[in-house]
Amino acid sequence: MRLMRTSEIAKRPVVTYAGEDVAQIKDIVYAAGGGTVGGFTLAGRGLFSGPLKEGLAWGSVAALGADAVMIRDEDALSPTKDVLEASRRTGGSGADVLGSRVLSDAGVDLGVVHDVIVSVDQQAGGECDVVGYEIEASEALGTQGEKVLIPLPDTLAASGEHLMVPASAKDFVGRDLAGFGAAVDAFRAQLGGAS
Amino acid sequence: MLFSEAKKHKVVSSSSAATVGKVSSFLVDPVTRSVLAMRLKKTEDGHFLRWSDITAFGVDAVTVTGADKIGDGDDDVKELSGKDHRVLGKRLLSSAGDELGKVEDVDFDPATGALVALLAGTETVVAAERLLGIGSYAVVVRDEP
Repeated sequence: MRLMRTSEIAKRPVVTYAGEDVAQIKDIVYAAGGGTVGGFTLAGRGLFSGPLKEGLAWGSVAALGADAVMIRDEDALSPTKDVLEASRRTGGSGADVLGSRVLSDAGVDLGVVHDVIVSVDQQAGGECDVVGYEIEASEALGTQGEKVLIPLPDTLAASGEHLMVPASAKDFVGRDLAGFGAAVDAFRAQLGGAS
Repeated sequence: MLFSEAKKHKVVSSSSAATVGKVSSFLVDPVTRSVLAMRLKKTEDGHFLRWSDITAFGVDAVTVTGADKIGDGDDDVKELSGKDHRVLGKRLLSSAGDELGKVEDVDFDPATGALVALLAGTETVVAAERLLGIGSYAVVVRDEP
């Protein structure tokens, strides 16, 4: 398991096992209502190259690392519309969450979403799960203005306007990615236990 | 032997005992994980010498039966002769998508031409059996479990 900010994934090169950089990540395509990453849209490499007609489904990604997105070969790419269509079938990409306000189910505004944290399963066939948001904290968190990480439940309710999280999420807020994985696990375990 | 030590080796013809060239760089085949050919300089004619055409790769010199072994290179040699297929100086990327450094040197077996290891700095030594590909962007090696 490895956590990363989706803002860091954008622009990362897509590299084949043969060592060729065939594209770079343009945008992240969310699936399952924004709960997982379904794939990526791609842009060409180089300063002046625009978007590509091909996208990359998460299932065709060999590995998502700190420096590159690895694919076995160029056959891993598929038409962008197929990638988008596949994400729609799983419940859509959800609203664009960046800039949305996170509201706890107790009705407290926790802050504004700055970045999305995903957890990458290194095993082949593993999911790329959306596990948290980096938010600019509101007054309610006692660290107003600072950026903090807030864990998300497995499934979440989101509109373009608000994201609802269980009130207990604020007890599992993290400051950096290092310990955040454990916080997400603890938070989700606690939710599972409660229901 | 390291590429850095093997570079500038003289290539000597065993029939004329004359120096017929000097090793300038190595062409590596990522599929066989071995040296396919060497690029030479200071030759009379042609710039490539296939590994399979040498008599021996010695400590001090490379020996060949004659200068006729040096040529312009067959298609497979030409294909690997471009900058895109060079190993030295290229970023080293694991199949997990993490950069391990830059390939600074390569250890190879002078008896067979087989690669032994890729060296990225003094600490990172990657066994050649992990090599997956050499491309324009990176040298890719299998991630260690």
